Amino acid sequence: MAVSDRSTKERLLSVLDDLEVLSRELIEMLALSRTQKLPQPGEDTQIVELLVQRDAEFQELMKVALEQGKVHQEMQLLEKEVEKRDSDIQQLQKQLKEAEHILATAVYQAKEKLKSIEKARKGSISSEEIIKYAHRISASNAVCAPLNWVPGDPRRPYPTDLEMRSGMLGHMSNLPTNGVNGHLPGDALAAGRLPDVLTPQYPWQSSDVSVGMLPPHHSNDFSLEPPGHNKENEDDVEAMSTDSSSSSSDSD
Amino acid sequence: MAAVPTKQETEDEDCSLLPIVHDIIKCMDKDSPEVHQELSKLKTKIQEAREQIAAMPGITLSPEEQQQQLQTLREQVRTKNQLLQKYKSLCMFDIPKA
Repeated sequence: MAVSDRSTKERLLSVLDDLEVLSRELIEMLALSRTQKLPQPGEDTQIVELLVQRDAEFQELMKVALEQGKVHQEMQLLEKEVEKRDSDIQQLQKQLKEAEHILATAVYQAKEKLKSIEKARKGSISSEEIIKYAHRISASNAVCAPLNWVPGDPRRPYPTDLEMRSGMLGHMSNLPTNGVNGHLPGDALAAGRLPDVLTPQYPWQSSDVSVGMLPPHHSNDFSLEPPGHNKENEDDVEAMSTDSSSSSSDSD
Repeated sequence: MAAVPTKQETEDEDCSLLPIVHDIIKCMDKDSPEVHQELSKLKTKIQEAREQIAAMPGITLSPEEQQQQLQTLREQVRTKNQLLQKYKSLCMFDIPKA
């Protein structure tokens, strides 16, 4: 039906126009017949029938239009519902995206951890071996002095005098690397507590200087000058080798 | 219960133009001077009807098209509700019980 293709509004306006035209024609016809006193057989009846028909159609269309108004209200409610659902879905989507990001990070970190576990597993060392090595290090008092350590005891952590002399600073000051027992004598010597038996004799130490003759302030007391000693690196060597001795002598 | 007639009911009763046309014909028959008043009433009535049609919501579509749109909207709401329900009831992770 061609009529149903048009909107209700168009149809209503069209019928209303028809009603206007028909009513005008009818009134004009009646007025004309009244003034001219001419009978208009059949024509006015036809117009009246058409007018009644159009009026019924108009009323019917008005009912349809009112029904459509109700449907329109329902549609508006549904549209609001759809908008609300859309916003809910978007919110959920956002949360899912965040969760995905967090999970992706967690998975990446877990994979990295697995890689490092695998790497550690490939190069695994038995704990016994590590303990053995630790024992070996600690047995030589390389990291910690023994509990009963006293000044003059050669057992002490690194760096000992020997290591210091073997290092770059020692080479710079041309110190001989064959130090005795590899420990610093300064503190003990300065304190004068070292037994004579344990008193080390250093090649860079003057042989005629006895321990008992050492004054309390030792700064220039040791003959630190090796054969090739020069004045400019004197301070370096002194600071390096007599640090502990100066602190102990100060405390005394 | 003496209900107050709503606007819609009033419109239903008033939308016919025939009573006014009938009044005009009667006035013409009687040669009444009120015929001009009645004619003006008809004009006003037609103008009001036009304004009323222009202001009526939801009549820019034919009833069939409107029903189709209504069905589409209902379907959308249903689908979206189902989707949300599905996501809400979806247990993505089984939390191990201690």
